[in-house]
Amino acid sequence: MSQMLQVSVPLFIVYLALTGNVEPSNLVIGALIAVGVSLLRPKMDLPLINPKRLPQFLWAGIRYIFIVAGDVIRGGISTARIVLDPKLPINPGIIAIPSGTRSELGTALSAHSISLSPGEMVVAIDDDGVMYTHCLNVDGSERMIANAQSLRKNLLSRMFE
Amino acid sequence: MKSLLDTTIWIVLIAHLLMVLAAAWRAWRGENSLSRLAGLDLASTLTIAVLVIISIIRASILYIDVAIAVAALSYISTIALAKYISDHKVF
Amino acid sequence: MEIILQLVAFLLLVLGTLLSIIGVIGFIRLPDVYTRLHATGKVSVFGLVFLLLAADILTPLATWKALLLIFFVLAASPAVSHAISSAAYRVGIPLVGKRDDLKGKMERGKEKE
Repeated sequence: MSQMLQVSVPLFIVYLALTGNVEPSNLVIGALIAVGVSLLRPKMDLPLINPKRLPQFLWAGIRYIFIVAGDVIRGGISTARIVLDPKLPINPGIIAIPSGTRSELGTALSAHSISLSPGEMVVAIDDDGVMYTHCLNVDGSERMIANAQSLRKNLLSRMFE
Repeated sequence: MKSLLDTTIWIVLIAHLLMVLAAAWRAWRGENSLSRLAGLDLASTLTIAVLVIISIIRASILYIDVAIAVAALSYISTIALAKYISDHKVF
Repeated sequence: MEIILQLVAFLLLVLGTLLSIIGVIGFIRLPDVYTRLHATGKVSVFGLVFLLLAADILTPLATWKALLLIFFVLAASPAVSHAISSAAYRVGIPLVGKRDDLKGKMERGKEKE
């Protein structure tokens, strides 16, 4: 039941954003479509959010978004500097970064936020959760990604425990 | 301010069209298939940007609907093509 | 108030276009597929998101749809670059650079073309 709620409420919000009117008939149709689509979903075990820890979850989520935004802006500036340099000072390579969490969702979210920032990109993930990351500049990136990953790991474990 | 904004939007539109041409040229002259696929993905992203600029010029919400459809289609088709090239099957 | 909003939209348009141009220049200059994907990610993250924020300010009705498209682009662009780079590694396209921690951990085909 609560899993169905976790799927259907975002679907309902997306429907309202797409149609853009809040008349009662449209609300009813949107709720019916959201519930119907969430009945069609495949079997998956989403981590359940405990309602008592919802404020903590939201607070950790907001901090996570700001940390990712900072990473993206820093990576964008460094990549722009590399691209505009006439000598093209790149030192690309693939480095292995352990994600530190066993849960698949935590690994996927870490890989998403690493790939989102320009300059780093996850090429493959193996079964132990080690992310093989392609970097434009191997020397500078390795320590920075490891620091960011430990920070992310704390927040993710606080969100989904 | 209003006329400056209008001029800027037209300049931005022309710049994006030139960038679509550059990305398509790179996709045409790419050295292997994945490089061409990356070029096509870049071209479709820039096409979405062109649609958003047209919606600003016309002050119309319709073009953003078209942009959402193009974004969804290019996302699915790029991932399916990449999977087809690496595994020789889609699913 | 209106003039401040228009100024912000102007700055967003110029910044997004400049970053898109930098991304396309990087796409043309960088040597192989893996490094080029960093440049395409930059275009879709910065260029498109800044343009959509400007559209959000300038076109009054578009607010929720533009925010939805921003969310979609931010969720989709890492998946696309991961799919292309993983396919390239599996097909066997060689990569520029010395260090490769993934070597030998994944079977690679021989590059055909």
